Amino acid sequence: MPPRLPLGAHRALGSTAFAVRFQIPRRFASSSAETPDIYDVVCVGGGPAGLSLLAGLKASPVTSGLRVALIEGQDLQKNRLQKDASLDSFSNRCSSLTPASVRNLQEIGAWRHANTSRVQPYQEMQVWDGVSDARISFDWDSARSLFTPRKPQQPTTIAYMIENANTVTTLLTRLEELGGVDMFSSTKVDSIDLGTDTEQVDLSSWPILTLSNSKTLAARLLVGADGANSPVRTFAGITSRGFDYDRHGVVASLQLSGPGWGGLDHKIAYQRFLPTGPIAMLPLPGNMATLVWSTTPERAAKLKSLSSNEFVAMVNAGFRLSPTDLEYLHTLSSGQEEEIAWREKHTPVNESSIPQRVASVQAGTVASFPLRMRHADTYTGERVALVGDAAHTIHPLAGQGLNQGQGDAAALVRTISHAVATGQDIGSTLALESYNSERYAENNAMLGVCDKLHRLYSVGSGPLVGIRSLGLQAVDAMGPLKGLFMGRAAGGV
Amino acid sequence: MPPTRLASSLLGTFRTRSLRPAAAWRQSCCYHSSGYSQPPPFPPAESAILSAAISHVPSFGFTVDALKLGARDAGYLDASTNLFPQGVFDLVNYHLVTQRLALKDSVQFPSEGQSGKKLGAGAKVRTLALARLRANEPIIHRWQQALAIMAQPTYIPPSLAELARLSDEIWYLAGDKSVDGSWYTKRASLSAIYSATEVFMTQDTSTNFGDTEEFLDARLGDLMRIGGTFGALSSWADYTAHSAVNVLRSKGAGI
Repeated sequence: MPPRLPLGAHRALGSTAFAVRFQIPRRFASSSAETPDIYDVVCVGGGPAGLSLLAGLKASPVTSGLRVALIEGQDLQKNRLQKDASLDSFSNRCSSLTPASVRNLQEIGAWRHANTSRVQPYQEMQVWDGVSDARISFDWDSARSLFTPRKPQQPTTIAYMIENANTVTTLLTRLEELGGVDMFSSTKVDSIDLGTDTEQVDLSSWPILTLSNSKTLAARLLVGADGANSPVRTFAGITSRGFDYDRHGVVASLQLSGPGWGGLDHKIAYQRFLPTGPIAMLPLPGNMATLVWSTTPERAAKLKSLSSNEFVAMVNAGFRLSPTDLEYLHTLSSGQEEEIAWREKHTPVNESSIPQRVASVQAGTVASFPLRMRHADTYTGERVALVGDAAHTIHPLAGQGLNQGQGDAAALVRTISHAVATGQDIGSTLALESYNSERYAENNAMLGVCDKLHRLYSVGSGPLVGIRSLGLQAVDAMGPLKGLFMGRAAGGV
Repeated sequence: MPPTRLASSLLGTFRTRSLRPAAAWRQSCCYHSSGYSQPPPFPPAESAILSAAISHVPSFGFTVDALKLGARDAGYLDASTNLFPQGVFDLVNYHLVTQRLALKDSVQFPSEGQSGKKLGAGAKVRTLALARLRANEPIIHRWQQALAIMAQPTYIPPSLAELARLSDEIWYLAGDKSVDGSWYTKRASLSAIYSATEVFMTQDTSTNFGDTEEFLDARLGDLMRIGGTFGALSSWADYTAHSAVNVLRSKGAGI
């Protein structure tokens, strides 16, 4: 029994009784083609958040008796990571998993299925202001006060870089191992409506899903893990508010000239705040790294149109040259490489404080996506719960999107198992209330911090630059305060 | 009835008797309707004298002389200028009112659906403001004099009211149908921009008033930028207020 389900332990008896009761409607379901197939939990969307939720439900003895279904529009098997995938090529869709998310994956028994040779933990993070060069470095060793001795058991890892395909494969493998999930892969949801009250069963408050393979499912609890344009959220009539940043995130998989200044055992992540948005280089195994460059849509289009040599030169310049130089370089139609080589000679930088030079870019990995922020008004409704991007979309500057989804999934598993253990209807708003109250404020704070950081650093000149640089250096000097921030970013260590 | 039309401002109403006898017989309809033809703004005798006087403005300026010559041209005695208790201001006012009313005939926008591309409200406002400025062209060398007359303390309120009516006219003709707070901000900002451009135009020596056009575009550009920032700020404030309420709700507060 995992320690995060304390309630389930001594109520195992009660839960068995429930599992039996849940089975009863199934007989009705099979009796007529008109009656929908009744499930306890139907999860729409097979992304990391949805899969983590199902694995969590199946891994816990309290909730493993629930009848669950997963509906995913794409082919789940096609997107799986190949076992013998080469370590020279990485997908451009990478995320950073915080220690809290990894602990959660360990608890549901998924982490041991991860392809660890393709996971890169990093121990240090360098963040600096592109205008004033004020710098802060995050590592657990410097994030303590002078007088507290270093605890040997203290972890040194800040976060783990992992491809999204690896996360999904890890969770899918665990789900297959656990079994008992009805998977509807490459199946779309055609419509969601409320059910009807018939003589056999009253489904008038239940969402009924009609699938593209003409099956109908009734859900005691419908979970929306179906991304930013969530149809489940639309069905529940929950408004999602926020704004578009008018920025695009340019991603690419890069090969560096070496394994990094700290060697293979001490990997460093870099992020430079430019007025157009942050440019970040995150370490992957070996000499590989992944890039996330938030910039204006016009510049993103420009970067994508460049040849690979010019693109590499621009990325190197992005970490080295001044915002003014970069602005000029984006206006050139070609010849960036020579222009940058000349300008770099006249821009003194401390090479060991910035990422090693990019040697090449993996072909076909340069892509971009629009950055926006959205937050649903609530995560729960009558027989509906939202997790992951369906509930919130965040600016990627702190790499928290995937982790918020994992946190949501873990919290919803706790809420459902509490409801099962205490004999509540898992779809009732009363039972789901604790999920919303546990996650909403926390996610809202994280969304707010990222939004404000984005706005603070989009100022290119003026007194604000001085103030923010002073603040950054002050935090850098105060170990315990820095430790507090790192703890929050790591998911509450 | 479109309530957004500034037919007779409060200011104009209570000053009617003392300042503008001509306005008294305009009161037959106190609101504007496109289905109702407006009576001419001036009585026939005044109109005849003033329109004749305007033609003398380029050579004599906004002076009593121009008024007298106008009266003579219209077949009245010199003394009939006593019809105008406000003297030369009535001449300035005549120019302002007639040019404002001429706008709806002088500027024609292609009807929607015709010729593919539709003009935005911003482009229409620009065209209308330029057309109104162009109407000052024949007398631009006398316009500083007119501005000085309008700036006399007695004449400031009616001049401002006329400016408000002009910017209302422009927004109306541009097809603006807003009934929210922006009704006021739009008219106030256009009034400010128009009056600034008008002053600029009196100093403009460029050919065909190219500089004035540029000046107007720059001011309208400023307005768009401020409008954009204000819009972003208010959507951010809206989001923040909602999220605060949502957090409280998630914690069980019954809001």
